[in-house]
Amino acid sequence: MKRNTLSYKVKQYLMFGGVGTALFCAVVIVPFIYGIYLTFTSWDGVSPNKPFVGIANYVAAFADHDYWLAMGRTVIYSVFSVVLINVLAFALAYLVTSGVKGQNFFRAGFFIPNLIGGIVLGYVWKFVFNRAFVAIGTAIAGHDVPSLLASPNGAMFCLILASVWQYAGYMMLIYVAGFMSVSDSLKEAAMIDGCTPSQAMRNVTIPLMRSSFVQCIFLSITRCFVVYDVNLSLTKGDPYGQSIMAAMHVYNTAFTYKNYGMGQAEALILFIVCAVIGITQVMVGKKGEVEA
Amino acid sequence: MKKSNFKKMLVLVLSFAMVLAFTACGGGGGGDEGGSGGSGDGKSITLFNSKSEIQEDFENLAKVYEEQTGVHVEVYYSQDTVSAHLATKYASKAPYTINMVDAKDIYSLGKQYGADMSDMAWVGDTDYAISVDDKVLGFPTCIECRGILYNEAAIKGALGEDFDPASIKTLDDFKAMCDKLVAAGMDAPTAILGPDWSLAAHYLQQVYEEREDPEAFVQSLYKGEADLMSDAKFNALMDTFDVLKEYNQFKTQGSNAEDELVHQAMSEGKDAFQFGGCWEWNDLLTYDYNGPVGIMPVPQNLEDDYTGKLVGGGAKYFYVDGSEYTSEADQEAGKAFLEWLASSDEGKTFVSDTCGMVSPFKSNTVPCTNDIGKVVKEYVDAGLLVPNYDYDPDDHYSKLGIEMKKYLDNACTREELAKAIQDYWASTTPVEH
Repeated sequence: MKRNTLSYKVKQYLMFGGVGTALFCAVVIVPFIYGIYLTFTSWDGVSPNKPFVGIANYVAAFADHDYWLAMGRTVIYSVFSVVLINVLAFALAYLVTSGVKGQNFFRAGFFIPNLIGGIVLGYVWKFVFNRAFVAIGTAIAGHDVPSLLASPNGAMFCLILASVWQYAGYMMLIYVAGFMSVSDSLKEAAMIDGCTPSQAMRNVTIPLMRSSFVQCIFLSITRCFVVYDVNLSLTKGDPYGQSIMAAMHVYNTAFTYKNYGMGQAEALILFIVCAVIGITQVMVGKKGEVEA
Repeated sequence: MKKSNFKKMLVLVLSFAMVLAFTACGGGGGGDEGGSGGSGDGKSITLFNSKSEIQEDFENLAKVYEEQTGVHVEVYYSQDTVSAHLATKYASKAPYTINMVDAKDIYSLGKQYGADMSDMAWVGDTDYAISVDDKVLGFPTCIECRGILYNEAAIKGALGEDFDPASIKTLDDFKAMCDKLVAAGMDAPTAILGPDWSLAAHYLQQVYEEREDPEAFVQSLYKGEADLMSDAKFNALMDTFDVLKEYNQFKTQGSNAEDELVHQAMSEGKDAFQFGGCWEWNDLLTYDYNGPVGIMPVPQNLEDDYTGKLVGGGAKYFYVDGSEYTSEADQEAGKAFLEWLASSDEGKTFVSDTCGMVSPFKSNTVPCTNDIGKVVKEYVDAGLLVPNYDYDPDDHYSKLGIEMKKYLDNACTREELAKAIQDYWASTTPVEH
């Protein structure tokens, strides 16, 4: 049997990748293309008719003031969350790989918040912010104090805090793997050459862990940009719609306001923004990667 | 060669297994989300219930129905937005046979998919059926009204005398009562629910409804001609809202006050008044109920045709899916179930006694077990209802809910609120109906 013929290669591919490709097409590619088609219609999400409207939905999406406000909010939320998640995750990973007593217990403990679903986590934190913190604040101040969730900045702070708490443990695991991949002999060699521990960390360990940073930052950026579950259960857009993130705005447009075509167009714009930022970050990050 | 055949077989088997796994995920029954259409022969149909608090009772009723008629009714519910959930059912070409939706959905969903029920016997037994283009499409499950909930026990406990809601005719009466309660030791006698649906779709909505021609008023809002600051009804209702705010037990939390705490306060008699409706009965029962809790019209310093009336009407409408996805036999089975629900003793008991709802059917004389519902029933029987206005745009409650929340939290003035409401309507495409 000739191995360099096209039919042989196709057969081989189908043998190993056929099922996966078919499923990938069925659940990702086809819905994605169909979704793009829907952005050119004024479908309400229910009707059997999907009137074609050309690029009207994109024009409306670009003119949708509330959408861009939500997008701006999402950027602010993402910047703070991504930085805090990664700083905290790195610090935790350093802590649980430095040989402290019971480090496996700590690893498990810090990872647990990630096992709680976003919806449940949001409700738990809502209880903490609305009841526990209010009760403590009232006891200290001597009079009723409003919940943090009642002010726009407070709600944003709560969202960031809950997200950092959720994701830091997950990213910590990737950083732990990064720390463990750096050979002790390299750090020792640096120390012998006169490096202080912080210099060894800055000049040896961190550069060799670059791929962990690239992965963690990519994961946290993409997750923060499309946040919905915590947003829904913790603030539901309150107060005064000033904590509505881009994904929630998209959902509201498509389903609550029954403007599916426009919601889909806004979702596509969100996808492109998210993809451009994510891919740029990965490309920039990969460029400087070093091999041990 | 044999080896290659084996591989081919393996690929085939794996593909098949994957496909099976996917179909298994897609299908399947169960009490909550999921589900599909009926059997096609009218022997097994599906029902979507959007009142999750009566889900278990509904399932029990379905069992009784099956015992009597042999027709299986699978009852589903979803925590998702009703229209979003039903959209997924239509997208998957497997809608429920019978769907419980809000009145405004009958004009959109029902209009597109609803089966004509004009010839059903129940139509003559109610004043609350919804007709679109001369076809009866909406079957009312209950009557729901909005007003000020009061806790009689709490007021009696504070003042030492029975409370007569008829004594509160104007806002001045209401304010005097609040002052009396404060003087008697009740720190804050009122509470306001914070969600946008309560503030905009229920409270603000009264501004449109309590007038001779709500449609003309809404049209004037669309055209940007209405001036709310000079509108007597708007000001009267907002004056009442100010008083509710002034004595609000949850003033510090404002629109962020949790529903559970507001309901608990009313249920246990920690406050005396709250704007709400009869659907809150189940929420009140969740706590250490110390009632009775009743309902009275929102008091206003404006004497007009709507003084002394509750706003409300038919609610939670059923439509039978008449689309190509539901067979004729299933449609007939669906209609027969609704007829049974309206006319059989079991159906009447289910609505008024088991679920404590106010029946929209004249022939239903089973006493309502819901304290608030009992009062609503009196208003219904006396014809003291102001009808609902059901043609708001879909984003009305959430967008104007935000503005009402600002007003509740003193984050905007009444002028700013009025302007925001006018701007919203003027920038919105009129709803066709």
